[in-house]
Amino acid sequence: MQTEATLAQADVSELDLVKRCQAGDTEAFDELVTRYRTRIFGMIYNMVHNEQDAWDLAQDSFVKAWRSIKRFRGHSSFYTWIYRIVMNVTIDWLRKKQVKGGSEFDDAIQLKEVDPASKTVPKENALPYETMERSEIRAQIDNAIAQLSPEHRAVILMKEIEEMQYHEIAETLGCSIGTVMSRLFYARKKLQNLLKDVYENI
Amino acid sequence: MRTFEEKWTAWLDGKLSGRELTEFEASLPDKAAAEAEKADAKKLGTLLKREIGTYDLANEEFFSRQLREKIVRESTRRSRKRDSAVATWWTVRRLLWTGTASLAVFLVFAIFVMHDKNPAEQSQYLTQILNARVDSVVSPNATISMFEAKEDRVTVLWTEGLQSLPADYAAK
Repeated sequence: MQTEATLAQADVSELDLVKRCQAGDTEAFDELVTRYRTRIFGMIYNMVHNEQDAWDLAQDSFVKAWRSIKRFRGHSSFYTWIYRIVMNVTIDWLRKKQVKGGSEFDDAIQLKEVDPASKTVPKENALPYETMERSEIRAQIDNAIAQLSPEHRAVILMKEIEEMQYHEIAETLGCSIGTVMSRLFYARKKLQNLLKDVYENI
Repeated sequence: MRTFEEKWTAWLDGKLSGRELTEFEASLPDKAAAEAEKADAKKLGTLLKREIGTYDLANEEFFSRQLREKIVRESTRRSRKRDSAVATWWTVRRLLWTGTASLAVFLVFAIFVMHDKNPAEQSQYLTQILNARVDSVVSPNATISMFEAKEDRVTVLWTEGLQSLPADYAAK
């Protein structure tokens, strides 16, 4: 378990790497890439569900980060800073690709009356959790997430997987905290509808 | 003021407290159903975290190597761009500004120099002489010439054929 001193040391070390990058040191950037490549690739893959696309987007994100490294002021951690670039690149790519289903979801359309106790409707062809292969579960989850808009996908993944706070998500996506919370509301509702049979048996 | 969706999300994530929490829970028509919904959302979160998690990057070293090559190409392209930027430092805009500034400096100097080189005012006497009328009857062949040495500030008035000076000539 990392102590506070270790974490502080790591931060200083990272800041040192960033300063070297800003001076044009590509080896320092290489070190930062090594630290975050897996996490960033994983996040992008969860957004786009295609390895090759995730690979290309991760590469593009790091190249963009290299180009704009001199603009990093240290107001946030390096990871938060690069994460923002990653999200912008990925969401832009998804918008352009117009993922079917996700693009149909309109933030402006709000449910007028939302029954807070509304139950989700179970699917007709329910399968017992025990008989589902792991890959099937993953496929169902991927399919459900793919039906969210890029923005909703981003908030749900950042909240549930990355465990980011509302203000961190807002800062990364460049929107208000209220927007983050609103998007979480609709993303969770939709996923609950689509995945009820899967999580109910947990 | 928070919307219902914002409050619900905050309530679900345990971020509501105090009066806001009490008021929100009081506003729920069916608290038991809402709690069941909350439990479902928690299960969803657990499911996502467990099944999605981190997706491993295969060929990590190849990823880094490929990225390194892109960055080296990027850096090379940037330094070439910088070199050509030096060569083309003289943009059209810069040329116009420099030209305008040079012209302004030239005009300023020209005005000062010309002012310095303006001839000294004519002497009061010369003006009187030149303005005086020569009687063409008395002095039909009178000529007046003026010679000036500017560096020495000497002006010589040479008259010839003048029989008499005009009556109105006088130093005042």
